[in-house]
Amino acid sequence: MKKRMIQSILAILFLLFAGAGYSTAQDIKSVVKELFPILSSTGNEDALAAKIEQSLPKNAAKEKDPMGNLYVRFGKGEPRLAVLAALDEFGYIVSGMTQDGYLRLDRAVQPPHSQYDSYLLGHPVMISTSKGPLQGIVAQPAMHLLTRERRDELAKNFSLDLVFLDIGARSEEEARAKGVEILDAVTFWPDLSELANERWAGHALGLKTGCALLLNLAVEMSGMKLSREASLGWMAQTKFPVRGSRSALGAMRAKKKLQPQKVLILDVVAADRDEKSPALGKGPVLVQAKEEASKLKDAIDTIAREKNIPLQYQTGVESTLMNPFLGDTTEVLTLALPVKFLNTPVEVVDFKDVRALKDLILSVIGSGRAK
Amino acid sequence: MRKYTISILGLALIFCAPSPASQSKAPDPSWDLLKKIVLIPGLSSQEGKVSDFIQSTLPASLKVERDAKANVWFTVGEGHPHLLFVAHSDELGFVIDKITPQGTALLRARGGLLAQTCEARPFVIYTAKGPVDGIIQPRPDYYQSQSSTRAQGQNPTQGQSGAGQNPAPSSPPNPAQKPAPTPVRPQAAPEAFELYFGVSSEQEARALGVAEGNQVIFKKKLVDLAPDIMATRAVDDRAGCAALLAAALQLDWTKVSGKAITFAWDVEEEIGLVGAQALSKILKPDYVFAVDTFVSTDSPLENKRFGNAILGRGAVLRAIDSSNIIPKTEIRKIAELAKKYAIPLQIYNSRGGNDGSVFVPEGAVDIPLSWPGTSAHSFIEKIVKSDLEALTKLIAVIVEDWK
Repeated sequence: MKKRMIQSILAILFLLFAGAGYSTAQDIKSVVKELFPILSSTGNEDALAAKIEQSLPKNAAKEKDPMGNLYVRFGKGEPRLAVLAALDEFGYIVSGMTQDGYLRLDRAVQPPHSQYDSYLLGHPVMISTSKGPLQGIVAQPAMHLLTRERRDELAKNFSLDLVFLDIGARSEEEARAKGVEILDAVTFWPDLSELANERWAGHALGLKTGCALLLNLAVEMSGMKLSREASLGWMAQTKFPVRGSRSALGAMRAKKKLQPQKVLILDVVAADRDEKSPALGKGPVLVQAKEEASKLKDAIDTIAREKNIPLQYQTGVESTLMNPFLGDTTEVLTLALPVKFLNTPVEVVDFKDVRALKDLILSVIGSGRAK
Repeated sequence: MRKYTISILGLALIFCAPSPASQSKAPDPSWDLLKKIVLIPGLSSQEGKVSDFIQSTLPASLKVERDAKANVWFTVGEGHPHLLFVAHSDELGFVIDKITPQGTALLRARGGLLAQTCEARPFVIYTAKGPVDGIIQPRPDYYQSQSSTRAQGQNPTQGQSGAGQNPAPSSPPNPAQKPAPTPVRPQAAPEAFELYFGVSSEQEARALGVAEGNQVIFKKKLVDLAPDIMATRAVDDRAGCAALLAAALQLDWTKVSGKAITFAWDVEEEIGLVGAQALSKILKPDYVFAVDTFVSTDSPLENKRFGNAILGRGAVLRAIDSSNIIPKTEIRKIAELAKKYAIPLQIYNSRGGNDGSVFVPEGAVDIPLSWPGTSAHSFIEKIVKSDLEALTKLIAVIVEDWK
């Protein structure tokens, strides 16, 4: 009797802890909060990938490649459906140190728009060093000393040439003693604002929400019985194209690794820019490179209709993430999260969209309609 | 033997050095006070909470006064000379001017911040219902410069203006290549800024508590560049407030005799020395020591031709600024006091006005005391702990030893 009781307790404990990490479907907001401050610029995705990996259910079949892509597979059989999201945000690297201890910045990939660098001026940033995260500020002239001409110059012609990163060091030696090395990653301060109506704002929030959503899906999928294999992938270096092509490096590698028959890219899309653009809070966006018949699209349409999940549409968009999968037998679509003020330090996401997107993808995986 | 002689001489010097209350062994609380007071919202004309903090921190034995504007001060002793020390409690930011039908808010600036640094940044709105998060929207066309960069062979990147949209580069990326020159980006006037709360109607915005006149303050964070170096918004002039508070806490006020000492924390400096003008109708000092930022050029983007007081090298005597010139005799007097008490002091000229200048036409001598601060009127005003402590000591020795 006693033995049976102990066995029962052990069984319950096993069930409780088998998944470990986010063994229960944690609220997506708390997952976003955990991933949000982790610096993950292109080529420096290791910390974010490691956090996701350690949070995956213990029973999930995980794989990593040397470039930093992370994969997890569920179910058995032929690789059917892959859901892929990017790991990397726009960021900078330490490219030099001045004799008086300031850091100079460069980038591995170009910014999303030419105003982007100007968001650095007069604001704090984070530097990822071998000794851990370091705080710094991008020097700004005192307002009292700015002539109108200089003010205009800063507004019109700001570039990385004017960026001096102050970490409180007085010499290169002091800077190095703080753990800073050339190529250390630098990004905007992780400032999360909780707005009204379940809307949050922050730098690279769309990307981090996508990563969190995929992680949340992994937890849900670990408890599902799948008749075919489905895989999830977090892709590194997606902002870096394969040389001479229009395909993101991380996506190219994911294709080689997973060889899926159908691919859903989990991406972000600019919201509320004009009358034609998707709207924030009106549901995820189904993006096609060009308008054409697609079984995958039909399946998603049907599920969205049946489950009453709001869905918006966008076509005519060429995507570096979709490109590697175009032109052969693989069927690829993008399901995107609408993001207001995309590629600024205050990207806004709406958690109603996030949940709808998660429900939609989960339903696609669970329904078997994507076969 | 020679070593012992030097040691004994050293000890003798320590025991012979002046030991006013300002040199007490109690740790200087100015740095900790600064970290607290700098986070309290206090836009010009809405400084009440800062004044509350100051009043609640001052020793109960002091008779503290407060006027309708929230100027706070106390006076100890009587007669002449009458020394007034004044720091301003207000900070820069915005007020809600109008709520739009779309649920955003138009803003009115209170003091001068560099407009471009406010765009696409988080702010906190202090409403009757409590603080509300908001963001100043980026200008509507912020992303349109993409087209000019695409032609430069920029990377195709995920989510540029849509889901993984591909700008279709004509050549491989060249990281060394500078982005195309930023197209003309007219300086946005603060009046053009719109604050976004996450709502889409005026009714929803008002339901959050947002109303005309609410103060809008940058979402502050203390950036620790080192254990003794910090950067944040409103160091100007909460550091002055903290130094004055620390001195008030350290001084033995029972020893003040043969002179009158007033410590004041005044309001609305950033919008035209308004608080100081109100005080000047009540207080008639012989000397006024405005305790405020020294706009230092110890920063890589500044011209070092003037104002090059170095951070970490002590307090600053702001000998000439845009509102005042200290008489040479008084400069020498302060320099001698600093030397006597081994307080590191730098003497420079720079720009900016100070509250003390209001009292000069009434007959006072204005002697602004400072710490070297870089990036004044920004979100990253930088300060070094030892400079603030030197300033606190300087205030204390002037109180004790001014003749």
